[in-house]
Amino acid sequence: MVDVAVVGAGQTRYGNHALGLKGMWAEAARNAFASVDSDFEPSMVDEAFIGSLAFGGAQLGNTAALLTEHSDMDGVPVRRVENACASSGFALRDAWMAIKSGQADVVVAGGIEKMNDLTPERRRYWLGVSGDTEWERLAGLTFPGTYALMARRYFHEFDSTHDDLVHVSVKNHLHGSMNPQAHIQKEVSFEKASGGFMVADPLTLYDCCPTSDGASCVVLAADHVAKRMTDTPVWIRGSGAASDHLALHDRPSITQLKATQVAAKKAYGMANLAPRDIDLAEVHDCFTIAEVLATEDLGFAERGEGGRFAREGQGVLNEGNVTVNASGGLKAKGHPLGATGTGQVVEVFKQLRGQADEKRQVDDAEVGLTHNVGGSGATCAVHVFGRDRT
Amino acid sequence: MTGEVWMGYLVDHHTEYTVAQSPFVLDGVRVFGADSDATTLAIAAVLHRLQHDNIGLVTVPEGMDAATVAAACNLAVWDDASDAEAEWDLLLSDEAIVVLARRDAEVELFEMDVAVEVDEPFHRAMEEAWRDELSLQHVSQGAYVSQAQYEEAARPRLFLQGQVSDEKAVWPPRFSSTSNLADSSRVRLKPSGRVLSWTTLSAAGAPSEFALRAPLLGGVCTVLLALDDGPNGVFLVVDDEDAEAFMDAPVELVVRRIYGQEGFIRYGLKARLIVA
Repeated sequence: MVDVAVVGAGQTRYGNHALGLKGMWAEAARNAFASVDSDFEPSMVDEAFIGSLAFGGAQLGNTAALLTEHSDMDGVPVRRVENACASSGFALRDAWMAIKSGQADVVVAGGIEKMNDLTPERRRYWLGVSGDTEWERLAGLTFPGTYALMARRYFHEFDSTHDDLVHVSVKNHLHGSMNPQAHIQKEVSFEKASGGFMVADPLTLYDCCPTSDGASCVVLAADHVAKRMTDTPVWIRGSGAASDHLALHDRPSITQLKATQVAAKKAYGMANLAPRDIDLAEVHDCFTIAEVLATEDLGFAERGEGGRFAREGQGVLNEGNVTVNASGGLKAKGHPLGATGTGQVVEVFKQLRGQADEKRQVDDAEVGLTHNVGGSGATCAVHVFGRDRT
Repeated sequence: MTGEVWMGYLVDHHTEYTVAQSPFVLDGVRVFGADSDATTLAIAAVLHRLQHDNIGLVTVPEGMDAATVAAACNLAVWDDASDAEAEWDLLLSDEAIVVLARRDAEVELFEMDVAVEVDEPFHRAMEEAWRDELSLQHVSQGAYVSQAQYEEAARPRLFLQGQVSDEKAVWPPRFSSTSNLADSSRVRLKPSGRVLSWTTLSAAGAPSEFALRAPLLGGVCTVLLALDDGPNGVFLVVDDEDAEAFMDAPVELVVRRIYGQEGFIRYGLKARLIVA
């Protein structure tokens, strides 16, 4: 069966953009297309998948068709992929499957979200639309509340305190401070991150990702085409995805994400790799507790040891076996919902080609992983990438 | 006299009638709490009465949500106040007092000595917030649970109706037609449980449907419960002025207002911490 490579990847800076949907997508696509080393024109694209929640409802219908007009992909079959915050992680998987199926040779996967052009009340509405409306939302929960319930339970079940979450925040701000594409490019001290405004106890402002605008875009190619486009492709060695109960209360445990565990197992199995083989992981830290859980669910730490993993600084750039969120993660790089999944791929693409910004290049990076979660874990896509094809 | 505290209200039981009163008082007048109204008081009165009597037909006066009372109390038969067949009537006072009386019973209201004085500015602000929230001119960006969707899940939401399949309780009920849940029996789960986790969302982080009231309340408190009959659920917390959540804290579930939109109030079960 055909192998699939990432041959180009680009994004906008994440943050509070003056640009709207069209302008941001154009910039991300232009950067992605420019990163392809040779022999590429947008007209070569056979299919395109664009992840977006269509936050704010500005262009809720036919979002993707509008965007192709602004990236020289007129006429390309395109669709919007929506799986909440995992939208473009699933767009990537769909793009990968399109090539795997033999129906396409060159496919674009991307994502976009414009979140900062709304009134606070309208924004709060949209931030809560991906939970279980009838039961969770009517119980007063938006995602800070949902993850706060997970955090408090985690502290109860395991040897962990809020300090462990502060370590996650400090680490990701450190990484973000070295990333010119990040929404927040400044370090925070442990003391400052310990005392933030309480958003949903026990989670403070420093436990929550920012509300970001942004777009990201990657170009995938079948092996026989990829070799004409670049000498340094990044191969998708494993793709796994899963779903789980939408509502937290329907899950047997709220201190682990089953969808992550299942998706990771599939991706590792396909890649014939284990967690110890991963050099860098871009994980879905929409809240700091989410990173603690992810390090366990992805197999970097034993169950109940994610807090210790953070406390000991094991995910810090080039400090432990795996660098976690070298980009700054959702916490510092930012979280433009639909753009996050393929934005993670942009980081892994650069890191595995040795093209990350100098200060945060992961040493000898050969294998990377992306982990993109929808909502509180109802959907998850995990991908494993390698400099080597197998 | 002192009534029995029942679902957060004061209930006075007599042979021919039951009186349910709000514990809150302003200038000597009984007033509703922050998320109570005549409907929630009526539900408490009926559920208390059902411990002693079978009730068939009950009439509901204007000012109460008959469908919500029916769903919360699992009363299949309902009609308007003129129904000649009804044996019981719900009666509404000028104050936050509801009486459930056998038809033609003579009702005597006794003054109860439990009275929690409310803060007037808070009370007025909350009343105004509810009025604004329910205004048809207030086009909220809140969660849209339509009237049809609300009614579809009314019994699970208000009566804690679940399913039993393979001797295991499932709640909220599933609509699967392929699993054995399709043929499962419907049961009412015990409206009680224990706290598995909790949080208070700041007013700024609360869902937009609570935007008018959350600042007055200092945020929105939610608990994840393990219900005593098995399933888990998340619920808003009610009457938490004198009680704080903690792991394994016992709670009872009571019907209260959740939020209003387009002139229509969505009621539901809220968690009331049981103070030892």
